Amino acid sequence: MTGKVIYEVKDVSKRYGSVVALDGASLRLHAGEVVGLVGDNGAGKSTLVKVLSGAHDPDGGHIYLDGEEVRWHSPRQALEAGIETLYQESGLAPHLTVSQNVFLGREKFVKGFLGKLGFLARKTMEDEAHRDLEAVGIAVPASNRSVSQLSGGQRQAVAIGRAVAWARKVIILDEPTNHLGARQAGEVLEVIKAAKKKGLGVIFISHTLPHVLEVTDRIVVLRLGKIVKDAPTAHFNGDTLVGMITGTITTLAADKE
Amino acid sequence: MVDSKQSVTVKERIQGFVGNQTALLILVLFILSGVFTALSGGSFLSTSVGSTILTDWGSYILLAVAETIVVISGGIDLSVGATLSLSTVTAGWVLVNGLHLDASITGPAAWPYLLLALLVAVLTGLAVGAINAVLINIFKIVPFIATLATFGAAAGMAIIVSGGMPLQGPNDFGLINPLRIPGIDPKIFDTGLFSPLIILMALVTVVVGLFLHKARFGLYTFAIGSNTFAARAAGISVARHTSKIYLLAGALSGVAGFYAYVRLGGGSPSSGTGMELYAIAATVIGGASLMGGVGRMWGTVIGTLILITVQSGLLMIGVATDWKQIVVAVLIAGAVAVQTLQKKNGAR
Repeated sequence: MTGKVIYEVKDVSKRYGSVVALDGASLRLHAGEVVGLVGDNGAGKSTLVKVLSGAHDPDGGHIYLDGEEVRWHSPRQALEAGIETLYQESGLAPHLTVSQNVFLGREKFVKGFLGKLGFLARKTMEDEAHRDLEAVGIAVPASNRSVSQLSGGQRQAVAIGRAVAWARKVIILDEPTNHLGARQAGEVLEVIKAAKKKGLGVIFISHTLPHVLEVTDRIVVLRLGKIVKDAPTAHFNGDTLVGMITGTITTLAADKE
Repeated sequence: MVDSKQSVTVKERIQGFVGNQTALLILVLFILSGVFTALSGGSFLSTSVGSTILTDWGSYILLAVAETIVVISGGIDLSVGATLSLSTVTAGWVLVNGLHLDASITGPAAWPYLLLALLVAVLTGLAVGAINAVLINIFKIVPFIATLATFGAAAGMAIIVSGGMPLQGPNDFGLINPLRIPGIDPKIFDTGLFSPLIILMALVTVVVGLFLHKARFGLYTFAIGSNTFAARAAGISVARHTSKIYLLAGALSGVAGFYAYVRLGGGSPSSGTGMELYAIAATVIGGASLMGGVGRMWGTVIGTLILITVQSGLLMIGVATDWKQIVVAVLIAGAVAVQTLQKKNGAR
């Protein structure tokens, strides 16, 4: 089902002043695997996401991409190494068009001298954005439309489609189904499945536990900055997952086998 | 852009028209020009008066161009007017105190002085822009306060450098005279609209406008103003790009300073006083949002022309200067009201 280990963090810690946000967390992600990251507010999910996406340099621990140790000094570095992150609700610039958003940070330029000056190949990017989004199963209206004219579901679809289209190794999705209706959330989950088929490693962070149980292969539970459980999704059900997150249970039935 | 809704109410029609900002602005400009031409007995739109007005106000357009880029990025630059004063004074200082300029020179003999004045003015503007960039991006001071500080510092510095007195320039740089091209009927240029100074201003505006709307520089500016977080997530170095924006605003203010120096035939430390408010007003009238992410260079140019028309028109028909400020205030409030209508309409 899943391939080799593609992304790994080992024993990472991060503190903000005297607050320990992340305390020796380790996580392995395989190619073609969807890992769910769950935990209560303040459990350290956002901090772990920021370490994984290169936004935070951890105080201690190691990060390995494709078996080689890496250290991110900026999200850009992680991005260039093939790791795409979709942040909660804020992935797109509303005043820009769909294609401008899809190509933001990776623009295509016109040929020749003007291209060297930074003049953009608008039409090319519009066509390619349309094609790339369609390829991951997202039907957007016109890619020269301003994002502010799209519905919430369409925006999220564009954001996630952009991430899947560009990701070469890993894609990190922070609450991608938040504030979406059932049908729209279903579409987002389909895109996650498409990413998995593409052989990407997917990290899926969500409070919506039915979505986590539906789409992930493995679930990692964070509590108070520590990883308290890392087990195949099949070992959980809705009740045991909630129990794990809140701390009312510490072992699963499958653990005893 | 336009939804194919079944029933279009009158209100929606009005909002739809208002949504086409450029058309609306041009209409306002035409109406205003017409009104003033009628009231002034036809003299307002005569070409010689028109070109004199445009020449007088060219530096306002340059400052508004600078302000537009800053505002689209979600910032504000209160220092553009003071930077104009300072750069016009430093240019004068170098020519008068450094090179002991002979004010009676004219023609080609003045060109080296001219280029030097431009260079000094732009470098001065860049220096103020660099201080803005450092205050905003390294010391993390909000643009309003950072540029308020440089506004005060530059205005004070302009007085110190000049000793409070205007610094002499050449009596005639030859730059505001109508252009002459051998072999072409000089009558074409006699309107004065084609003076080298106006061409310089127009060229700078067009080039900056192209970079704003067609190149990556502008795309990043809009992206940062629209959603800084998304821009950063896309790998844009927000601090670096914002620094470029304030440097450019400084450089353009420097060009405006050079413009004022040539136009006024000297560098006065008060030549830019209050101009930042006109630059911001023109930008907002032109359709830019002070929240960032929205704006057009065309809109700003027409916005400035509307301000110019109102100001000069009122002056020409003999309205007291004090009233002008009130009219400008009404224009700004009206522009913002139109923006709010547009937002409700979802036109942007």
